[in-house]
Amino acid sequence: MSINQLSVFVENQAGRIGRITQTLEAADVSIRGFSLADTADYGIARLVVDKPAAGEAALKAAGFLVRSGELLCVELPDKPGALDHVFTSFAEANINIEYAYSLVSTYVAIKVADIPAAEQQLANQAVRLVNQDELEELVVS
Amino acid sequence: MSQNPSQNPSQQPGQYPILNPSLECASRDEIASQQFALLREQVAWAYERVPYYTELLDGIGLKPAELRTPADFQRIPFTEKSLLRDTYPYGLFAVPLDEIIRLHASSGTTGKPIVVGYTRQDIEEWRYCIMALAQMAGVVPGDRAQMAFGYGMFTGGFGLHYGMEGLGVMMIPAAAGNTERHIMMIEDYGTTVLIATPSYALHICEVGEKLGFDWAASSLRVGLFGGEPCPPKLKAEIESRMHITCTDNYGLTEVMGPGVSGECLVSRQQQHIMEDRFYWEVIDPNTGEVLPEGQPGELVLTPLKKQGIPLLRYRTHDLTRVITEPCGCGRTTARMDKVRTRSDDMLIIRGTNVYPSQIEDVLAGIPGASAHYRIIVDNETGLDRLTLNLEVQPEIFSDSFTAMDGFRQQVTDKLKSVLQVGVVVKLVEPGNIDRVMGKTKHVEDLRS
Repeated sequence: MSINQLSVFVENQAGRIGRITQTLEAADVSIRGFSLADTADYGIARLVVDKPAAGEAALKAAGFLVRSGELLCVELPDKPGALDHVFTSFAEANINIEYAYSLVSTYVAIKVADIPAAEQQLANQAVRLVNQDELEELVVS
Repeated sequence: MSQNPSQNPSQQPGQYPILNPSLECASRDEIASQQFALLREQVAWAYERVPYYTELLDGIGLKPAELRTPADFQRIPFTEKSLLRDTYPYGLFAVPLDEIIRLHASSGTTGKPIVVGYTRQDIEEWRYCIMALAQMAGVVPGDRAQMAFGYGMFTGGFGLHYGMEGLGVMMIPAAAGNTERHIMMIEDYGTTVLIATPSYALHICEVGEKLGFDWAASSLRVGLFGGEPCPPKLKAEIESRMHITCTDNYGLTEVMGPGVSGECLVSRQQQHIMEDRFYWEVIDPNTGEVLPEGQPGELVLTPLKKQGIPLLRYRTHDLTRVITEPCGCGRTTARMDKVRTRSDDMLIIRGTNVYPSQIEDVLAGIPGASAHYRIIVDNETGLDRLTLNLEVQPEIFSDSFTAMDGFRQQVTDKLKSVLQVGVVVKLVEPGNIDRVMGKTKHVEDLRS
């Protein structure tokens, strides 16, 4: 079980991130979570959206470099230690987390090389795995 | 202790000897007749020894013995730099290799360098040219000259080195780089002449200032610059901050190296051409037509006593203007305006020639590298800096910074090894680089 992520190449230049969000808005694509990471002169915007195919098409049509990929997504109980629980569990199984960021609500998206192995590791934990359909239907009040 | 030239209070031009007054101060008629006699010999040398020139002259029906006027000479087609590349490495050599005692090279318009060879006599002639222009700049026997050019295949280092020794100057072969050591050597060895690119001289100046070095009190009195154009503003700045007199000289590897022309202490915006070693013409770069004296155009040079590689009517692509009025320094040799611009797209970065075509070749050899790029040259930090903005292609874009930086590093390393100049590679979004009518403006030179 996995969710979809759109990675977008962004130059460090005023207004570039705004163009991404405007493009998604115009395509009626809703952002469920994002992370921005940068080097000295360029960055990568990572986005989890409700409709990845539509989002990818709109961004590409607007001239962006987009790559889509898979992430593991978990819903955590909203209490202290919940995130630690997941990370510790991965550490025990020697599963390397390349990066992770939180989405709406208590969802956390996690980039690992082997998604099925990570899923299996979490099978007996007090967390719930989330799929793309759920992100599409999600309504946060 | 021997006389220290830095103690010499005078900077008056008349105080400095002229190396070869019988040429440098001769009448224009005498110069022209000396020059033309040498030109005929040089054309014969090329015709008899280089198959390319044999065919070329036969093709236009010109026998060297029939060469009587400049108009005859102007019938000979120009020699382009590409010829040196196409005949790489030895195709234009006029003597057997066992008569060549040295090779030098400079960057070509594409990946391969161009190679030039010197006979023993060529090296002697080169030394003579350097001695003459060093004297124009006020260098005298007993000076102590510190070399801040690289040695290696570049002509600047060895060319200046032997010429200065020929003049009786104490050479300090410090070579390029290690700026703090340069400053220490100037102080400890009592250096009086600094040989450098102007941008590196400014860098030495600034590093010295930061270290608290007192340039006004130092022994240094002359800057001998080359390798890149020296804008008047930069020269004035170095002169006032380092308390020295700076001149710059001109030359190019293809016809010899430095030593084609040099600045005297009177005509500070021009350089005296060594007319007993080089025949000059100024042409319209678009039509190839030879222009009347004093008109701005492209400089075309024919070396007059070159044995190793005798080039006829070599197009320098340097834009200038040449005048022949006598100079206040006493010399009557022609003076060319300092070269600031070129008729092609060559860039000079910290003394090294860089062609956009070299960059294109490198990019073509890297899978996933885009052909869309822009070169930005600036000198905000004092030294020339070359930045390559390279559009990222979809196939190399990755969600991983490690992969992206690996790609960037690959481009950076490959460029450095081909250009011999460090390049800052910046990855930019596709479409970022303006395309005008299918053609991209590849170079933006922001240097002040």
